[in-house]
Amino acid sequence: MSRTRQLVDRLREELGRSDPMPIAPPLPKIQEPPSRVFPRRHEGSRFARETAQHTTAMLGIGHVGTRYATDVVLQFQAELAVAHAAVDAVLPDDWAMSNGWIGLSSRVQNHREFLLRPDLGRRLADESLARWKQSGKHGVDVQPILADGLSAVACMQSGRALLESFTRACQARGLSVGVPVVARFARVWLEDEIGAAVGAKVAAILLGERPGLGTGDGLSAYLVYDPKIGNTDGQRNMMSNIHARGTRPEVAGDRLAVLARAMVDQRRSGVELDLSQLTQQLGDAASRAPRAPQVRERLVERQP
Amino acid sequence: MRLAATIRNVVYPFASLREVMAKANSKKSGDDLAGISAKSAVERVAARAVLSGVTLETLRRNPVVPYEIDELTRLFEHSLDETAFKAVGHLTVGQFREWLLESETDGSKVRSISAGLTPEMAAAVCKLMSNMDLMTVAAKCQVVVRANTTLGLPGRLSSRLQPNHPTDDIAGILFSMREGLSYGCGDAVIGVNPATDTAESTAQILTAIDGVLKKNQIPTQHCVLSHVTVQMRALQLGCPMDLMFQSLSGSELGNKAFGISVALMDEAWEIMKEKGTARGPNCMYFETGQGSALSSAAHHGADQVTLEARCYGFARRYKPFLVNTVVGFIGPEYLEDGPQITRAGLEDHFMGKLLGLPMGCDACFTYHARMGQDELESLKVLLCAAGCSYLMSLPVGDDIMLNYQSTSYHDIPSIRRLLLKRPTPEFDAWMVERELWDYERNLPGRMFGRPEAIVS
Repeated sequence: MSRTRQLVDRLREELGRSDPMPIAPPLPKIQEPPSRVFPRRHEGSRFARETAQHTTAMLGIGHVGTRYATDVVLQFQAELAVAHAAVDAVLPDDWAMSNGWIGLSSRVQNHREFLLRPDLGRRLADESLARWKQSGKHGVDVQPILADGLSAVACMQSGRALLESFTRACQARGLSVGVPVVARFARVWLEDEIGAAVGAKVAAILLGERPGLGTGDGLSAYLVYDPKIGNTDGQRNMMSNIHARGTRPEVAGDRLAVLARAMVDQRRSGVELDLSQLTQQLGDAASRAPRAPQVRERLVERQP
Repeated sequence: MRLAATIRNVVYPFASLREVMAKANSKKSGDDLAGISAKSAVERVAARAVLSGVTLETLRRNPVVPYEIDELTRLFEHSLDETAFKAVGHLTVGQFREWLLESETDGSKVRSISAGLTPEMAAAVCKLMSNMDLMTVAAKCQVVVRANTTLGLPGRLSSRLQPNHPTDDIAGILFSMREGLSYGCGDAVIGVNPATDTAESTAQILTAIDGVLKKNQIPTQHCVLSHVTVQMRALQLGCPMDLMFQSLSGSELGNKAFGISVALMDEAWEIMKEKGTARGPNCMYFETGQGSALSSAAHHGADQVTLEARCYGFARRYKPFLVNTVVGFIGPEYLEDGPQITRAGLEDHFMGKLLGLPMGCDACFTYHARMGQDELESLKVLLCAAGCSYLMSLPVGDDIMLNYQSTSYHDIPSIRRLLLKRPTPEFDAWMVERELWDYERNLPGRMFGRPEAIVS
């Protein structure tokens, strides 16, 4: 007998001949685990109650072994799905027209290209540019642009309300406002070409912002004085988190009009714009500082 | 040198070594965006074939960004360890790959040649490796560093606790930090990305964190990730600061966009060595990520893997305590989906370790990239199987300030249990003392997940 054969035989002897996986012994009825609901209701821990005053981070959620409770998993997956759905949404071709607005398109051809080629999303398609030069109102103070950005959902949900409140507020401050226009597959910098094509003093693009967990309906606004291709982010002023749970569109429109007025008066925008006299009227739009935390909503309810 | 390869009777010629390097790269949307990627899978292999025959010596003579116009290239050339380089310079990239994979080549041998490698060499060999190749070699490389705690020892997995808050609400930051600590997170660093980039705010956050660490005798480090110049001013205000942070780019131009230079980082390091509050000797923390150079048009026609390696070449000058690639943060125009983000995470970890850095990884995605939770969890396990020094940790992986998805407080103890890893020895002892983990059964301890275990 070879050495290898001997070795294997000895091992077999040592390991035995019995079934290596005998039937597992039965368990008595497993006790139902305690109810773990997200977010912790008032009966939850003191820690969970206190944290809710200061942060929207998912704290005080407990653990099962080292993992999440089922309800936390569902909440998390729902938040993730809402964010992904917002990114995946595409503005319908005829959405602008059916709302009575002019519809333009960037050089992007489809949704995947939109995500992969920000450079194309910053320039108008030739046909759109030619049509816009014909149909836009030239030499206005403010050219408002509604756009999909990274959430067509947000654009379709509160775009009209923001556009209208912004337009009204601009006019109330004595600013002339251009023909409202909707841009598809648009990045922020597209406002430069659209504004420049009609010689507007200020271009204001209102567009869906990159969704966070559980959000996806937020709009951001970027305003720039003297719009022209090649402007940088330092020359823009922005306001984010415009939606029902953040800054409401009606309030945001007013604050953005204050910004636009300041830009026309001071003939500049971005870091050089002096807003020190306007902080009261501007609220969130006064600083480049980030937004306050929002309420974290419970997204999943099982039908009883 | 003729740069061409033949596959099935078709000749694939390349005009420059930089083109070969770019086209040999695994598929990345960022290289497509830069217009430098291979036109087909076959051309990619042809480029790899050419690259496999190029010697490391040749790579040294052909940096992807010219010596004359880039201070990083000059830094790499002047600081190269000539003795270490002599041992490997004659090898082709293909031979070098085989040497790294050989069973006889252990971590200490890799360490002996590490300082003789330029970033281009690390990037080149990376392009010839599969994901498991990358893991196999990275797992050999041990990089152990010390600040207040000792990071990178075998069988260890650490984490950065990242209690970010959209308005820097101190109470909110501390609540999150206490919960994270109760899950055994934070042994690499408690690191906050501040919403407000001012010296006062940086000092205020550091002071608050320092208070909790001292009160609970927690052996770790703290850091606020504001711009390096802001941290330098914060130090002048007289605040505690265990680690100093900065994002790095792979070219002089890219670093200019970040507002830094070699001279500025030298100055920051000097100040930190004098005024930093950790015991050391390592006191710097850097973050990187493929695509950062292109995003500021500072890529000089080079691919994003090579530029990423150049960040590591820059980082190693400062003997950092932590370096991590924020791999999926930059967005789908640079790394489109799960497979690309996974690949990039393993590449970056490999290149960093090969170049002698204590590499961690912020395995993450933004919500407009094609990646899901399951894929991200897989990447974390792959990284830790390859010996990744640390991951991030946040409540449910959700950064409520930066709006992206990373590692969770729950993931860290899960991976440690799965792969039989422990935190840094100092933190480990603290966890046992506080009954956060029961090592006899390797299960959560009595106080695990209970933030009241840490007093505020």
